[in-house]
Amino acid sequence: MPAATMAVMPVIEARELTKVFRRPDKSEGLRGSLRHLVTRRYTTTSAVDHVSLSIEPGEAVAYVGPNGAGKSTTVKLLSGILVPTSGEVVVGGIVPHRDRIANARQVGVLFGQRTQLWWDLPVRESLALLRDMYGIGPADYRAQLARFDEVLELGELLPVTARKLSLGQRMRADLAAALLHRPGIVYLDEPTIGLDIAVKDRVRDFLRRLVADGTTLILTTHDLGDIEDVCRRIAIIDGGRIIYDGGLDGVKDTFARERCMHVRLTTDVDPQSVAALLPDAEVTPGGSPGEFTIRFDRFVLTAGQVIATASSLAEIDDLLIDEPAIEDVVRKVYSGELELEPAEDGVGAGVGA
Amino acid sequence: MAARAYLCMVKVSARTVLTYRANFVLGLFAVFFQLLAMLYVWRLLLESGKDFGGYTWPQMKAYLLVAFVTSSLVSAYGDFRMAARIRDGLVSLDLVKPVTYQTARFAETVGRAALELAVTFAVAGSIALVTGGIPVPDLPQLLLFAVSIAAVVPLKFLVVYLSTLLCFWTQNYMGVAWARTSLVALLSGSLIPLVLLPSWLQTTAMLLPFASLTATPAAIYLGQATGGEALGLLLTQAGWVTVLWVAGRLVWRFAVRQLTVHGG
Ligand SMILES: Nc1ncnc2c1ncn2[C@@H]1O[C@H](COP(=O)(O)OP(=O)(O)O)[C@@H](O)[C@H]1O
Ligand SMILES: [Mg+2]
Repeated sequence: MPAATMAVMPVIEARELTKVFRRPDKSEGLRGSLRHLVTRRYTTTSAVDHVSLSIEPGEAVAYVGPNGAGKSTTVKLLSGILVPTSGEVVVGGIVPHRDRIANARQVGVLFGQRTQLWWDLPVRESLALLRDMYGIGPADYRAQLARFDEVLELGELLPVTARKLSLGQRMRADLAAALLHRPGIVYLDEPTIGLDIAVKDRVRDFLRRLVADGTTLILTTHDLGDIEDVCRRIAIIDGGRIIYDGGLDGVKDTFARERCMHVRLTTDVDPQSVAALLPDAEVTPGGSPGEFTIRFDRFVLTAGQVIATASSLAEIDDLLIDEPAIEDVVRKVYSGELELEPAEDGVGAGVGA
Repeated sequence: MAARAYLCMVKVSARTVLTYRANFVLGLFAVFFQLLAMLYVWRLLLESGKDFGGYTWPQMKAYLLVAFVTSSLVSAYGDFRMAARIRDGLVSLDLVKPVTYQTARFAETVGRAALELAVTFAVAGSIALVTGGIPVPDLPQLLLFAVSIAAVVPLKFLVVYLSTLLCFWTQNYMGVAWARTSLVALLSGSLIPLVLLPSWLQTTAMLLPFASLTATPAAIYLGQATGGEALGLLLTQAGWVTVLWVAGRLVWRFAVRQLTVHGG
């Protein structure tokens, strides 16, 4: 395979992509509008700020960040809905906002908050319209409907008018609408928002298959389950800037700084004396004498130092280190608590990619 | 192929009208009662013996029925939906569909117009019969009339489409729709025949696309314009359709920048 020596061409390439929104500074009412006409003052927001992303065919990327971080704006830039203020974007060799129709043929987009179905029509009619828009042949169309029925149980939704669908039903139908033309590139912006567990599982299962079939996917979600189930790569955006872009495992190394070690010593040792030796750690007594839980920052202490200290007091009988959970990291990302310390020990490869 | 998509949109929108036929019929009712009132008023006026542009009662009836058909065309709430999608920013989703926005909206309009034509012609025909008949032109003239009515569909679509695009700049579509309706009613001749307007207003109507909307089909139906003159009027309609179609594409491109460049 020449792949080892030849770099794969990225299918999505964003370079220094920036979107600045300008909102008029106007107060309420007619007077405010008139004053705005005279003064023309604006507030500007850099919703997406010099974002560079390079995504290879078949990659599944989770795109996460707190509310207002710029996720949806990025998706709109990639799908050609918005024209960038500066920077470049090329998707499958096409500049999306220049050639919207060609771009529409190669990508599938879903905005979880908004439906693409025709509101007044039964789902079946919406899909038939899309079939004709994309020039999908009858056999392929039937095959697609069968596939959607299998995973999303679409069949029962076909005769229902879009505005009568529940949120979960609508999302299933919308997924079918976004993917009907077998796009090689798919952007899903919060596809599981507001769905109950059963539907979520079904959607995730569907997304896994999609990725397994070689679709390039960008998935914006609040749901950790979605990320771990579907994606190997994660890009974290905050305040319009990418603060991490790399493997899912790397996120833990970079951001999950707290480690938790459960130690059982052969003899009863006073927790105070352990704490005294480890002033930077938090020591809590465990369930029985000689058991402790030690929490420490891995940029301050190493696991080895903690073990050495504990074993200096008594022989270690048993030891357990909790796996840092990516959930904790992502939850922190969403709550805006994530502290961005430069990784002193150099584990943070991939930061600011 | 895209052509198939537009054809499918024509069919689907016709079917949507049938699904919502109650709305559709109610919408026609308003115009229908207006028509009855006009017929009544004009009969009184003409019976008074005064001269109104030389119209006889049967001719005036024919005029009003043609005006009823043309003003009912392209009136079924498609513009309100387009306006709402622009206002709510949902129009951005239309940018990720592989069809041309203007052509897609036109296809929907054609689907509705087919039904509007069928229903309004049936209504107009019945009224003509019930009220003692109207003059009917000979076959060639009738064909010219059919062409002029067909041209009203794209023309009125474009007038409505262009004004609806104003929603990219103003929140108040009701105001825009109201202004357009009044302007069209007055300058197309659907309110009263243009010959009865002050001459400067007549000239204005003739110089603008509005006269092509009602005055042209009416003049052809009544035989006021025949032969070369009728062909000239049809060419004028075609010219306006072309000009406004191109204008629509340009304004759309400019309008959508509101959304794509400034973020709506
Ligand atoms: N059309 C717009 N006009 C002005 N500001 C906008 C617009 N769309 C988004 N923004 C602003 O841009 C920032 C990013 O928004 P968005 O991309 O929707 O974030 P996310 O999807 O990550 O929650 C927010 O501060 C938001 O208020
Ligand atoms: Mg969003």
